[in-house]
Amino acid sequence: MKRKLFIFSLLSFVIVSFRSVNEIQFEVPNSFPKPVYNFSKNPLSENKIQLGRALFYDPILSRNNMISCASCHSQFSAFTHVDHALSHGIEDKSGFRNSPALMNMAWQKSFMRDGAINHLDAQSLAPITNPVEMDENIAHVVAKLQISKLYPQLFFKAFGDSTITGEHTLKAISQFMLTLVSANSKYDSVMRKQSVFNEQENKGYILFKKNCSMCHTEPLFTNDEFRNNGLKIDTTLNDYGRYRVTKNKADSLKFKVPTLRNIEFSYPYMHDGRFKKLSQVINHYANGIEKSKTLANELQKPILLTANEKVDIIAFLLTLSDKSFLFNPQYFYPKEIFSEATKN
Amino acid sequence: MLLSFIAFTNAINAQSASTIGFSFAYGSRVLNIDDSLNLPNDSTFLRITELKFYISNIRFLKNGEVVLEEKNSFHLVDANQIIPNQILVENKQNIAFDEIKFDLGIDSITNVSGAMGGDLDPTKGMYWTWQNGYINFKLEGTSQLCKTRNNEFTFHLGGYQQPYYCLQTLHFKTNNSSTMNFKLDVQKILNQVDLAKTNHVMSPCEEAVILSKIVANAFNLLQN
Ligand code: HEC
Ligand code: HEC
Repeated sequence: MKRKLFIFSLLSFVIVSFRSVNEIQFEVPNSFPKPVYNFSKNPLSENKIQLGRALFYDPILSRNNMISCASCHSQFSAFTHVDHALSHGIEDKSGFRNSPALMNMAWQKSFMRDGAINHLDAQSLAPITNPVEMDENIAHVVAKLQISKLYPQLFFKAFGDSTITGEHTLKAISQFMLTLVSANSKYDSVMRKQSVFNEQENKGYILFKKNCSMCHTEPLFTNDEFRNNGLKIDTTLNDYGRYRVTKNKADSLKFKVPTLRNIEFSYPYMHDGRFKKLSQVINHYANGIEKSKTLANELQKPILLTANEKVDIIAFLLTLSDKSFLFNPQYFYPKEIFSEATKN
Repeated sequence: MLLSFIAFTNAINAQSASTIGFSFAYGSRVLNIDDSLNLPNDSTFLRITELKFYISNIRFLKNGEVVLEEKNSFHLVDANQIIPNQILVENKQNIAFDEIKFDLGIDSITNVSGAMGGDLDPTKGMYWTWQNGYINFKLEGTSQLCKTRNNEFTFHLGGYQQPYYCLQTLHFKTNNSSTMNFKLDVQKILNQVDLAKTNHVMSPCEEAVILSKIVANAFNLLQN
């Protein structure tokens, strides 16, 4: 009896240490605040991240096995969909919003341009289920994964259980998305005093702090709030933004303030992708603000910018590009994982 | 040794647990999913095709004070199940109680806590995806009163934020019994709904709040 107990406690010790060896601590970049995501409910591990990466790139999540998350969120454009103002989903169906860039997800309180999703784990369900995106349902996705060659072993490695569940599927995708941290732009190295802005960038930074940073707040370049930034409503879409979720008139035309990191690569811009170029965005703020009841206080007074100053702001925005993020091999299509499956 | 162990665990089960059961009725009749439920003088051709809901946060009280709570208390009850819908709550110390309380639906904190497993797994189909959150209660069926496609009506009730907070707390006096059987009478719900007008509620809204209250009142504890 005693011996059994001893073996049992030895075994549980081995299990406990197996877990702690595999767990990865989430690294918070120096200037960044405390993450919003609760990692204690979904502790990171290399195997879970890799499983999530495979799922992110795998069209098995869609009804016709043709569309993956990466179809609309590709790395070289900071995980948005370039060239498509409105998202482009299954069987060439068009969605009604521009797909946002994905980065620094651990610091976001809500997701989607109107904040309809309250947690990163729940985010994947929206595109999987949306009839114009992946048009699947999670129960069927889980059934497909369960009979695949690849996934039961990947889930076993990640969660110690080869029985696949919706919970584990969603948590693994979250883990991959949580690793998409961008904090290594020229701006960041200037802040770390490892580099300096040129004169134009510096002027742009001063103008930015005066006119833009109330909403696009450093270091994440978003205050994670919903604001009406004076875009005229597109009557072919009639998208009232946050109002769709709260049904509160005071929220009409408010959209989540997006990050401006990697903005050089994540065009087209705004919830409906109406602007292709940064110069159009700056002209909007300088000359195109549409007055309405819910227009943000910060934009009530016109932003006066000379032609040179507009260029200065753009020069500053370009310092937010992070090549080490856009070309980070840890985010690439996971060839090695998928080729493993065809070998067996 | 082994035998006595089994006998011993059986004894625990019999005494130190409370069984909570659910059954379904339409007025005086037993409700079976997909069966026609027509009553005499009724030309509505009523049929219930889906009836599912969450019971959560089960607790027992004595003189108004909580004396026993179920840990991790989330249960999906589905009328379309061959095995009886029974929940076993452990009561190792045989704590005496005179009241039971539970929630119909899923609380706000759980709604904002990300992916969950077990009965809360999103594969259970009780989850909204475009604006995420749990569906507390699902009732679907057909009736001639609905001038909709295939005469269908669909009620998916939920919402975890004010002003459309739908969770309902139910409580019943009980005489400390180890089995409690609850009956949900769907007639009590549909009697208060004008199916010709209200037949499609599928998001957090005022109607969902009103309907949730009606549903809560359609449960009763059978006296054994
Ligand atoms: C058909 C294109 C498409 C596919 C496929 C797609 N998305 Fe998206 N994604 C979008 C669009 C469009 C939005 C914004 C929608 C909105 O705001 O209403 C979005 C929003 C998001 C957001 C919220 C970002 C933020 O800042 O709020 C995340 C996270 C995300 N998607 C992850 C995923 C994942 C994970 C998958 C695969 C399971 C996926 N997407 C599949 C188009 C797509
Ligand atoms: C009142 C808050 C507010 C201020 C001030 C503000 N913005 Fe914005 N900005 C927003 C919101 C909200 C959006 C998203 C609108 C949408 O999705 O349609 C946005 C979107 C953008 C985008 C597009 C991002 C993308 O990924 O699509 C850029 C670029 C941008 N702003 C730059 C600026 C610059 C430069 C300034 C200063 C001149 C500025 N903003 C001032 C709130 C603000």
